Amino acid sequence: MCGISGIIGLQNISNPLVASIRNLEYRGYDSCGVAVLNGRGKITVKKNIGSVDEVNEGEKLTKSKGFVGIAHTRWATHGRVTKANTHPHLSCHKEFACVHNGIISNYRALKNLLAKKGHKFLSETDTEVIAHLLEDFYNTTGNVEKTFLKTLNKLEGTFAIAMITTFDSDRLYCAKKESPLILGIGDDANYIGSDSNAFIDFTKNSIVLDDFEYAIVSKDSYVVKNFNQGNTIEKEITCIHWDAEMSQKGGYPHYMLKEIYEQPQAIINALNIDQKHIKKTASRILKSEKNYLLGVGTTYYVALLGEYIFSSMAQSFVPAISSDEFKHLGEISKKTHVMALSQSGETYDTLNALKYSINKGACSTAIVNVIGSSMSRLVDQTIQQGSGPEICVLSTKAAFAQMIILNRIALEMGLSKKVISSSKKRIIEKGLKELPKYVSRVLNEKSGFVHTMARRYCHIKNWLYLGRGLYYPIALESALKMKEVAYIHAEGMPVGFLKHGTIAMIDPDHYALVFVPPKEDRELYELTMGGVEEIKARNGFVLAFHFEPKDSKSGLFNEDIVLPKVEKHVAPLLQLILAQLLSYFTATTLKRNVDRPRSLAKSVTVA
Amino acid sequence: MKALILAAGKGSNLLPFTATRPKTMINVAGKFVLERTIELLKESGINVINIVVGHKKEKIINFFKNSNHSNLNLHYIEQKRSSGIGDAVFQARDRFDPGEYFILIYGDILTAANIFSHTLQSFGSTKSPVASICLTSSSGMFGNVYLDEEMKITRMIEKPKKPDLCNYVLSGVYILPASFFDLLKKSNKNMEKAFGKLIEKGDLAASIWEEDWIDIAYPWDILKANKVIMDSWRKATIAESVHLKGDVKINGPVFIDEDVEIRSGTILEGPCYIGKGSFIGNNVLVRKYSSISADSVVGYGVELKNSILFEKANVGRLSFIGDSVLGYNIYFGSGTMTINHIDNRKSVKAKINGKKVDSHCEKLGTFAGDNVTIGTSNSLLAGTIIPSGKVIPHNHSYPK
Repeated sequence: MCGISGIIGLQNISNPLVASIRNLEYRGYDSCGVAVLNGRGKITVKKNIGSVDEVNEGEKLTKSKGFVGIAHTRWATHGRVTKANTHPHLSCHKEFACVHNGIISNYRALKNLLAKKGHKFLSETDTEVIAHLLEDFYNTTGNVEKTFLKTLNKLEGTFAIAMITTFDSDRLYCAKKESPLILGIGDDANYIGSDSNAFIDFTKNSIVLDDFEYAIVSKDSYVVKNFNQGNTIEKEITCIHWDAEMSQKGGYPHYMLKEIYEQPQAIINALNIDQKHIKKTASRILKSEKNYLLGVGTTYYVALLGEYIFSSMAQSFVPAISSDEFKHLGEISKKTHVMALSQSGETYDTLNALKYSINKGACSTAIVNVIGSSMSRLVDQTIQQGSGPEICVLSTKAAFAQMIILNRIALEMGLSKKVISSSKKRIIEKGLKELPKYVSRVLNEKSGFVHTMARRYCHIKNWLYLGRGLYYPIALESALKMKEVAYIHAEGMPVGFLKHGTIAMIDPDHYALVFVPPKEDRELYELTMGGVEEIKARNGFVLAFHFEPKDSKSGLFNEDIVLPKVEKHVAPLLQLILAQLLSYFTATTLKRNVDRPRSLAKSVTVA
Repeated sequence: MKALILAAGKGSNLLPFTATRPKTMINVAGKFVLERTIELLKESGINVINIVVGHKKEKIINFFKNSNHSNLNLHYIEQKRSSGIGDAVFQARDRFDPGEYFILIYGDILTAANIFSHTLQSFGSTKSPVASICLTSSSGMFGNVYLDEEMKITRMIEKPKKPDLCNYVLSGVYILPASFFDLLKKSNKNMEKAFGKLIEKGDLAASIWEEDWIDIAYPWDILKANKVIMDSWRKATIAESVHLKGDVKINGPVFIDEDVEIRSGTILEGPCYIGKGSFIGNNVLVRKYSSISADSVVGYGVELKNSILFEKANVGRLSFIGDSVLGYNIYFGSGTMTINHIDNRKSVKAKINGKKVDSHCEKLGTFAGDNVTIGTSNSLLAGTIIPSGKVIPHNHSYPK
C-alpha cells in the first residue's frame, strides 16, 4: 500500500503537501517524496528513504516553492527501498512528474519498448514507465490531456496516478483504476489523495473517483471524465465529518488494538486459503530431502511454532532458523526446500537467505501478507495470507494467521504420511474452525482481567516467560511482544530449561509468566506445573495463563487468568491473545508509543 | 450539540456525604464533580447543558447561580421521584428536537482528561450512536460489552455475575439521537433494554477510553478520584495573596488558592490542594494527595495523608488524618487519630448501608459526614463511617 496526494492552489503548497503525506503515512512509510512545479516552470523533486519527518529534515521538502505539486509515501512493492525507487518519478527531460499507487502489470514490456526509443530509466519501479510514456506521447500529440489519455489506455494493472507537467502549469492530472483516489474541493485550493486523510485538515468536501475515471484539477475548478469513453461525468460532492487520525484507526485508540481485534477475521481468511496451495506446499515439503522454515523476529517464532507443529502432527523435522543466521547453518542442495515467513515480503534478512538458497538450487515457498512483494516474486510458490494491512509496527494478526496456515500444512502432511487419521484431522480442523469464535470470546471476556494485571505489574522490570512444547514458541513470541512495545525485559524459555541455570535469578522481584497447557495434555501439564513449583519454592511470583477454573494446583499461582477449554492443538494460540493484550495494556499504562515503538520499523529492509 | 447530565440520584452507597448533598456535589481536588464535568463540556464546545436534578437539587442550583459559570446555558429538569436512570433520561425528552443528537453523561463519573471530546470525536467518525467504554478492575458493577472488529457493540451484560467475565464496561458517556427517547418509551424506561434495541440494530459504536476513569460509587472512590485529578497536575499554582509566614517547604505540584495563610515549619508535599481562605498552623505535614477545601483550619503539628477535608473543616493540633474524607464543617478535636489499616494488613472493609463491603484498599481511614464533632484524644478505627451531625465525646475509641 502506498499513499499519493496532490495540491493545486493560490498559495505556496509545499507545507500542506508534506502534511498530506504525513497523514497518509499509515498506508506505508518506507520512503517518500514531493514534486513541485515552481514559478519558473521547472519541476523540482525531493525524495529519500525514511518517514516523512525524517525525509523532510534531510531533504527540506517544505522548502520547495510552487502552486502545484504531487507527493507520495511509499511502501515498496516493486523495487527495493532506495532513493532512486522513491516516487515521484520524472521523465527524461524532467517535463513530467508522476506518483502512483498500484501495480503496472505490463511495465516490463513498456519499459523495453521505451528503452529502445532511448528513454533512460533511473529506477527499478513500475511507476517510472508512466513518466516516460507521457513524455513519449507528448512528442507526438503536443496536447497534455490527449497525452494523459493515451498513457492511461496503455497501462495494464491497477493504479491511482497523479501527474504534473511543465506544459500545463495550472493543472493537476489524476486517474484511477482499482487503487483508491479522492478529490478534495477547497476554497482556494483543490486536492487529491489516496484517501481523504490527505486533505481532511484543509477541506471536508470530497469527490470519490470511480474506476476508469480521470480528473483535471485546477485551483478553482475540476472536471471528471471517463478514460475509456471520454465522456464528462457529473460527480457529487460529499462532506466528510471525521477527524483524520481517528478514521484511519476505525475508532480504535491504536492500530495494535485494532489489529488484535481483527484476528478472528484474519484466522477466517487464513482458513479460506485454497486447499490446493496448502496441499502443494505439504507435498513439496514431503518430497524434499531437507526443509527449512525461515523467519526473523516474530516470524522466526512463528517458524519455531511450525517446527513443533510439523513434528507433532506429521513427525517431520523441519528446523526453524532465524533468517539472519541461515547462511551459517543451512545445508542446501537441489533437493532442499526453504519456506520463508514475512508479513511485508520485504524483510531484508529473509530475502537474503532466500536468494542464497535459490542460488544454490533450492526450491522455495513464502507465506506473506503484502501483495506483490519482492519475496513473492522471488520464490517458486507464494501463499498469500490475506490478513489485510497491518499498520502497527508489531505484528499480531499477520503472525497469527501464519500460525494457522502452518497448522493447515502440517495437517495435510500428517494425513498423507498417515501420522494422523482423517478423523483426527477433522477434530483438529474443527478446533481451528472454532478458533475465531474463541478468540472473540477471550477478547470480549478477558480483556478486563489482563488490563488489571497490566496496571498492577507494569512496574516489574524482569519477566521470565515459560512454556513447554508448543507453548515454548508462544512464550518466546509473547516475550518479544512485551519487549517491543513496552520496553520491558521478558525472556522466553522452555520450562524444563529453567532449572539448568536461570532459576538462580528467581527472587521476589523476578516475575514469571507461565503458559500452562490444559490438563488433558497430561504429561505436558504435569511437567509445566513442576516448573511452577520450582519457582514457588524460591519465593518467585507466578502469573499463569491456564485452562482449569477449579484446580487444586491453581493455588500455586499468585495471579492467573483462566481461558475457555479448546481443542488442545489450538490452546496455546488462545494464550497468545492474552499475551498480546498484556503487552498492549502494559504499554498504554506506561504511555509508550504503541504503534511505532522506538527504534523499530514495520518492514526491516536493511541488513 | 446539547448535553444531558444525570445528577438526580440519591447515591446511598456514598453516605454519609450524600445525606446532605447530591453525589455530583462532592468536592474532589478543590472542585465539585459536576463543576469539573461542566468545565470539560465547555472545553469540548458544548454550552447548552441540561441537568436532571432531584435529591438535594438546591445545592446544585444555588452553587451555579452564585458561581462564575453564569455564561453557561444551564437548564434544570426535576425528577420528582427517584425511579431509575431510564426515567431520569426520559424526563428530558422535550429538551431535544427530533433528529438531534445529544451527549448523555452519568454525573458520578470522573476523568482528568476530556472524555467528552474523545467521545465526540468517535461520533464524528461513525455518525452513529456512540457509547464510551473503558476497562476497570471492578467490572461486575457496570455494563460489560462485547465488541466486533469494527468496534460496534454486539452484546451487553449488565453487572455480570459470572466471575470469569471482565471486559470493557460502559463508562457513562453516550452520544444518542433524540429517537432514543422512543426506544426508551418502548422499553418501559429501562435503559438496558433501550440500549439492547440499539445494539440489535447494529447501531451502537464504541469509543475506547484508555485514560483514568473513576465511577464514584463508594466513599473510598472519592479518594481515588482525588488522586486521578491530582496526578494530572504538572505544575504548582500559588495565588498571589497566599501568605507563607516563615519557613514553609513546598515540593511538587501544589495548588494553593487565594488568601491562604501557612505558618512556619509546615511541609507541603505535592500534589496537594489548599482552598481559599484556609489556615495551616505551624509544623503541619501535608502529604501527597491531600485536599483541604476552602475556609478550613488545620492546627499545629497535624499530619494529613491522602485525605480530603470539605469546606470549613477544623482539625485540632497533633491529629493524624490518613486515607479519610471529612465532611463540611467538621470539628476534630486535638489528638484525633484516624487508624488507617487493620492488623493483618488485609484490605479494609466498611459498613455501607448495613452491609460489609470490601474496599480493596489496604489503607483506609474515616469517612465523617457534615457537621461531625469529635472530642480530643479519639481513635477512629479503619473504615469507620460517621453519620452527619454525630458528636463523639472526649477520650474515646469509635466505633466501640
